[in-house]
Amino acid sequence: MKNALKKLGAICLAAALFAGLVTSCAKAPESATPIPAQITDQLGRAVTVKASPQRIVSLAPSNTEILFALGLSDRIVAVTDYCNYPPEAKTKPSIGGFSTPNIEEVIAKNPDLILAADIHKDKVIPPLEAKGLTVIALNPKTIDEVITSIELVGKVTGKEKEAADLAANMQKRIKVVTEKTGKLSPEQQPSTCFVVWHDPLMIANFGTLQDELIKKAGGSNTVGLLSSKSGYAEISLETFLAANPAVMIAGVGMGTGEDLPLQFLTSETRLADTDARRNNRIYSIDQDLVGRAGPRIVEALEQFARFIHPELFK
Amino acid sequence: MTSNPVPTLPNNTYLSGRRKRIYSLLGLCAALIVVVAVATSIGSVKIPLLTTFQILLDRLPFVDISPTWQSTIATIVLEIRLPRVILAGLVGAALAIAGATYQGLFRNPLADPYLIGVAQGASLGAIVGFLLPTAWNIPGFGIIPLLAFIGALLATVIVYALARVGKTLPVTTLILSGVALSALLGSIVSYLIISSGEKMHGIIFWLMGSFSMSQWSEVRIVLPYVAVGTAVIIIFARLLNVMQLDEEQAQQLGVNVERLKLILLAAATLITAASVSFVGTIGFVGIIIPHAVRLIWGADHRFLLPLSVLTGAIFMILTDIAARTVLAPTEIPIGVITAICGAPFFLYLLRRRKKAIF
Repeated sequence: MKNALKKLGAICLAAALFAGLVTSCAKAPESATPIPAQITDQLGRAVTVKASPQRIVSLAPSNTEILFALGLSDRIVAVTDYCNYPPEAKTKPSIGGFSTPNIEEVIAKNPDLILAADIHKDKVIPPLEAKGLTVIALNPKTIDEVITSIELVGKVTGKEKEAADLAANMQKRIKVVTEKTGKLSPEQQPSTCFVVWHDPLMIANFGTLQDELIKKAGGSNTVGLLSSKSGYAEISLETFLAANPAVMIAGVGMGTGEDLPLQFLTSETRLADTDARRNNRIYSIDQDLVGRAGPRIVEALEQFARFIHPELFK
Repeated sequence: MTSNPVPTLPNNTYLSGRRKRIYSLLGLCAALIVVVAVATSIGSVKIPLLTTFQILLDRLPFVDISPTWQSTIATIVLEIRLPRVILAGLVGAALAIAGATYQGLFRNPLADPYLIGVAQGASLGAIVGFLLPTAWNIPGFGIIPLLAFIGALLATVIVYALARVGKTLPVTTLILSGVALSALLGSIVSYLIISSGEKMHGIIFWLMGSFSMSQWSEVRIVLPYVAVGTAVIIIFARLLNVMQLDEEQAQQLGVNVERLKLILLAAATLITAASVSFVGTIGFVGIIIPHAVRLIWGADHRFLLPLSVLTGAIFMILTDIAARTVLAPTEIPIGVITAICGAPFFLYLLRRRKKAIF
């Protein structure tokens, strides 16, 4: 009898310990970040995240993609009209455009976390904060900052592990490209340009994600060097013609502009004699991939690598 | 009996003035050719002057120079710069003579080619063109110039219809209707700009006027309108002189005033609409160039009109040079340059003459 009781006691103890272990393990990722968390967002603002956010509003398509990539889809209560990836994002209610979100609708959703972007700095973030809402602004300017922004979102939503996994995956894919392109000498880097718009003619100059993509994919942004303006720089047609880049890439699918820049590059008679036209090295890439500072930027990098160095990347 | 000598004017001022103007006309023609050649050799890409002249001369029939230049340089000179310079000259000439015509018709020094709604009508048409889905795009130059042209003409027709009183077209009513319709269209334009989203930059760029991306196809379309319109207006130059008297007086002197108004308005509006549709609304040229020409050469329309054509063309080409070289390779909107350069020069002329010129 005593032996049986002892055995029962031991089993109960073991069961209790086991239960405690299991439950604490399950909670561990959630409680890794002490709540409330004091973080600095990418606009340099100090924000206090009060609790594990359950009602998240995204004010930018790139933010939406990050949220879905971290598995937070059921916590998203609203997105913008332009949030179209993944397809499930289109089923979420919308609070307006990217540069014109409807502040009242955002507030009406009663969010406990709002992910904004740089352009919301002056007109959107102040009224939201005045209502006591938590707003974090993501503003990555380089690929590394994109990864940092993903990790930041993971930290405030308790999805650090998913964020770390995603970051590692992205780093790996980036390394596959930069390993080969890093070994190229300057002569092996063809002059490449990314054309944003055709009238006026605008290219991506230093300080843009596209410029970094070109460099990492083993190209040289020589057209950009002819303009002292950073960001998206206007350039005259004759400068562009004289620069004669070997590879031209245009973004397509932007708003309702569709592929006008691509049409311009492929059919403008005055560009008929350029190297890119004659060697058939004019490429297009979905603007959603190359213009969004989100997880799919590595896919843009891989495409750029295939465009610029087809001999190295299939 | 001694025969009476033919009375001559003291100092023969009329004839000497006339001679001076004819020489000026010839001088300006020569200046225009020089300016065109110079403008074609200036740009953000450095091309030696000699090469540019060789490329231009090579295009003349009977002249054959074996090319020592790359085809890219020839493309830049012949396909990018030359059509741009010629279009700038055409538009400058068109706006100047249209402005002179409006000032003569309305007998008002503040009249400019945009008085009766052409600018706002064209702007509205262009913005509609920007906002339409691109499936409607005409390859080559897009649908925007066409819609701008239609908008400009529609606005003028509406103003004309509103201002007509029976068979007459009172000038004051025309101006007032034009101002009112311009204000209405302008408010619609403003609303559309605000709600255009990501197209805003392109639209505002268009509205400020620009000759960048000009091509020969545009020159080929604008040239007939401007040539025909200018010819029509210059034919009626003497009648326009007579119109400077009261309309009643002119009517009594045998001028069919209403018909003349209609013809001149139509011609001036057509050439303004054609210019604005391709390059946007460039201000200042239409109002200031005719006044500057009056200050220097007098108000006789038989000389005022052709001199305005030449002066307007030269002025526009020069400002276009400034627009594309001052901050190369970025381009300044040409409307900014025309105002910055033209206004001080005009004020200087005004001060120098110190007399009423209208």
